[in-house]
Amino acid sequence: MTDPYQILNVSPDASDEEVKKAYRELARKYHPDNYHDNPLADLAQEKMKEINAAYDAIQRQRSGRGSAGGSQSAYQRQSYSGYQRQSQSSYAGNAAFQRVRMAINRNDLGMAEQLLAQISDHDGEWNYLKGTICYRRGWVDEARRYYQTACQMDPGNAEYRQALNYVENGGSAYQPEGYEVYSTGCGNANLCGKLACAYLACNACSLGGIRYCYCC
Amino acid sequence: MFGYVRPSLSRLSEEDKRRFHAVYCGLCRALEARCGTAARFILNYDFAFLAVLLSPPQAPEPLHRACMAHPVAGRDYFPLSDALALAADCSVILAWWQLQDAIRDHGAAESVKYRAAAAALGRAYRRAGQARPDFDRATRDHLERLARLEEERCPSIDRAAEEFAALLGAIGHQVEDPVLSRVLEQMLYHLGRWIYLVDAADDLKDDFDRGCYNPLIYRFDLTSGALTDEARESLVLSLDHSIRRMAAAYELWDFGVWSSIIQSTVYEGLFLVGKAVLEGTFHAAGRRSGGRDEEKL
Repeated sequence: MTDPYQILNVSPDASDEEVKKAYRELARKYHPDNYHDNPLADLAQEKMKEINAAYDAIQRQRSGRGSAGGSQSAYQRQSYSGYQRQSQSSYAGNAAFQRVRMAINRNDLGMAEQLLAQISDHDGEWNYLKGTICYRRGWVDEARRYYQTACQMDPGNAEYRQALNYVENGGSAYQPEGYEVYSTGCGNANLCGKLACAYLACNACSLGGIRYCYCC
Repeated sequence: MFGYVRPSLSRLSEEDKRRFHAVYCGLCRALEARCGTAARFILNYDFAFLAVLLSPPQAPEPLHRACMAHPVAGRDYFPLSDALALAADCSVILAWWQLQDAIRDHGAAESVKYRAAAAALGRAYRRAGQARPDFDRATRDHLERLARLEEERCPSIDRAAEEFAALLGAIGHQVEDPVLSRVLEQMLYHLGRWIYLVDAADDLKDDFDRGCYNPLIYRFDLTSGALTDEARESLVLSLDHSIRRMAAAYELWDFGVWSSIIQSTVYEGLFLVGKAVLEGTFHAAGRRSGGRDEEKL
């Protein structure tokens, strides 16, 4: 393993507090919320694993527990698959839709789209999955419209509502220290307050209440 | 490419600014060396930013020499590298196909200036096209599909933006490292998407007045050359998402000495340019005051 201090970009002489701060900044950056339905989510997940392992290693070294056992990061306990996690809970019924979800999870969007085209009943689920395919492609305008239709057809479905909220809150809300949250619409988003919500939602763990890291 | 991409200068150190300048001048020289003098005139910030993205994490020592634009004081520039060569070739190919597009879109009289520009760029294009046949083909195919969508008066801004986005994304395929290739493809896809949509917003009034296709007119059923509040809100959401996807991809690769230039672009510069375009103040800030915008740095 590469030097854990190097991974967290801190000196081995750094205080516990400094190590924690460096870890939090990186965890905030690679948090799964910033890569929700993003085609590079797997790369972000690798980064997250790396920094969690580095933080764990430093914690173990410093508490004198050596390498055996020790704490395991919150992130490792819960493997990241936000999409699958929700699909299992909310939709186990229709086999055709399940195949679409599996194709989306494999990032095989062409196949997902083909499978979806074979389903003639364009219900809430169909619109939600169509929106998800669009969103992964970066087609935000159409994604939003499909999500809106899904929410209209099935207003009680939390998964659809959450997807629509994520898009309407502007997606990933990470910005490096020293930068404000910007929006093309109003410059500094502190003025409109809306964008800041995406990250607050992350801290409140609205995505199923699972802890991904130590920062929330 | 149109010169919309700007790093946020207030965020850059003097060293970063000098480095960005040296890329700009290095690209200018690379264009001349690979494609001939005429190619230098397509240079703008968008292409300089492309060169930054393609540059390896360590920069060489810049050289210093006088040139046509700065015959007395001269300028720092980076010597020709693989990254500058790739950026130069792709820039020429893109510029040439966009000129072909403009010639087709305009009547015989109006297209004279585009024909003249294409004639001047012909030799440069042939050299660049031979050096990068895959990218040349991809560019032509995507712009042909875009032309068809325009003829059909496509009402989807995502579908219309897709072609320009995908063709810029294809530059990522020219890079060998598999992770960097994916990161660049995603960044360039969204850069292309953002440029296409910002340009559509910028040209909206002109296009509406001249009866030309503009995806925003058909997407939002506009009855004038201005965006309604609702249309504006939807467009802002798309622009913001594309910038944030660029930023999210940027964080997954170590761009070394270029990090602060890219960071200031994807966390601030693009938002400010988009805002200025939507507010109609971008041109006042001096965009089309000439092809070469280096002096504004």
